[in-house]
Amino acid sequence: MPISQLLLGVLALGAAYALIALGFVLILNATGAVNFSQGDLVMAGGFGAVALGQALHWTGLALLPALLVGMAALGVVLAVLTYLPLRRRPPEAVFISTIAFGIILQNLANRLFGAEPLAAPSLLGAGRVRFAGVNASLQSLATIGVAALLIVALHVMFTHTQTGRRLRAMAQDRDVALAMGIPVDRMVVGTFAVAAALAGGAGLLLSNVFFVTPTSGGEYMVKAYIAVVIGGWGSIAGAVAGALLIAAFEVIYPSIPLLVPALLPWSDTAFSQTTSTIMLDAAVLLILMLRPQGLFGERVRQRP
Amino acid sequence: MTAPPLLSVEDLVVRYGAVTALHGVCLHVGAGEAVALLGANGAGKSTLMKALIGLMPAAAGRILLDGRPIQTLPADRRARLGIGYCPEGRRVFPGLTVRENLLVACWGNAALRRHRLESAYALFPALAEFRGSLAWQLSGGQQQMLAIARSLMDAPRLLLLDEPSLGLSPRLTDEVLDRIPTILAGGTAVLLAEQNATKALAVAGRGILFARGRVAAAGTAAELAASRDLHAAFLGG
Repeated sequence: MPISQLLLGVLALGAAYALIALGFVLILNATGAVNFSQGDLVMAGGFGAVALGQALHWTGLALLPALLVGMAALGVVLAVLTYLPLRRRPPEAVFISTIAFGIILQNLANRLFGAEPLAAPSLLGAGRVRFAGVNASLQSLATIGVAALLIVALHVMFTHTQTGRRLRAMAQDRDVALAMGIPVDRMVVGTFAVAAALAGGAGLLLSNVFFVTPTSGGEYMVKAYIAVVIGGWGSIAGAVAGALLIAAFEVIYPSIPLLVPALLPWSDTAFSQTTSTIMLDAAVLLILMLRPQGLFGERVRQRP
Repeated sequence: MTAPPLLSVEDLVVRYGAVTALHGVCLHVGAGEAVALLGANGAGKSTLMKALIGLMPAAAGRILLDGRPIQTLPADRRARLGIGYCPEGRRVFPGLTVRENLLVACWGNAALRRHRLESAYALFPALAEFRGSLAWQLSGGQQQMLAIARSLMDAPRLLLLDEPSLGLSPRLTDEVLDRIPTILAGGTAVLLAEQNATKALAVAGRGILFARGRVAAAGTAAELAASRDLHAAFLGG
């Protein structure tokens, strides 16, 4: 297997993880609160894509706009139920209320779709593309394209629109943002909407290859959390980088015996999927001990 | 019937938990006027500023803008009614550029935003030079200029300027306070909280002296400058 093939896999998986981690970090920055239902929003997006696909028989790409709008609406519900009533309480309150919301989503999904794994429609179809010695699925290429488009759109929003600049200002100093006329509560609800839409988009991208079950959110939640810890708590660029690093680890680690044939005898033990997960968690513990500010540190510093 | 003053504060009480910080403060600021708010550290100047913009709730009393009570409105609504707030300690948005810090505070279309940016750069030419720099990279004096320029971006009728000289050298303090006549000429009234009484009274028409959360004395700048209350308040007498 050529390295370029592995890198393509890393990019496709990492781009989808990045969307989840970005949504997580946006809410973290806007409110100081951890949204523990971010993984369940990915699951909801996956089932949303399944349901839309069954109803309309369109490709995933055609379903994406409707899914993003629907997930944004779910994000508004999340903010109104779990954040707004508790916004003057300590952050732990929101931490618990979002966990509760996630459990409600899991049970709803179980009631509506059952516990069997379901596949969301592929973005463009099931074809494969060959170029420069790489044999890539259309799905992974389209995943990279869609995720990159969403990330670029988000970046442009944050740097070139008044709403985006105000969201950043609000994250940096809530009281002063209010005093500048920024309606902080409404902006926070908007942030939840964007975060849920990103998670839903990731759900569509991931649930074609990896399927979706009512409990698949937990795994995504942990990965978003790890990505944000690795990238530096609150750093947007760091969240994307952290997501790519996690994906790189997940794709490359089990493939090491394929690259180094001498290691083949251990491919089912030391290089299994389970070992890979353990190694990833160990790496995070190591990072937290040696570099608690994350690999990428803080963008904003105090002037000495 | 005469028009109500731009800002009236009637019997305002503000509490931090069980501690009362303002005990029934009364004052007013007329349109286009500069009023200095004087007093030692802890006299209640910053608390009054926060209560006026809405970052501290009023426990009792009224705050009127053009005769209309605003004490129950949230801070963002008060800002949009024409109150600019330049907080103590500057508090620029550290991760936003100078230009972005200014833009977020302007509520108008692109043409108006461009116009206001130009006005801000004209008021503080140093900001134009650093327009692309992140705010945390600026020196203290530049950050103070940015904080003032930001509070003027929505062309407020009343500017609450809280301790602009804090942490600045005398030369930079002069440079910042010297802009107040220009701000007044633009039609913005200024309520200036300042520990440096001499400098504040040099740019303000009237002064109000605070001591332990109460108005201890008030008068024209000349009257206050000559009064013994002023010296007593700062010497803790």
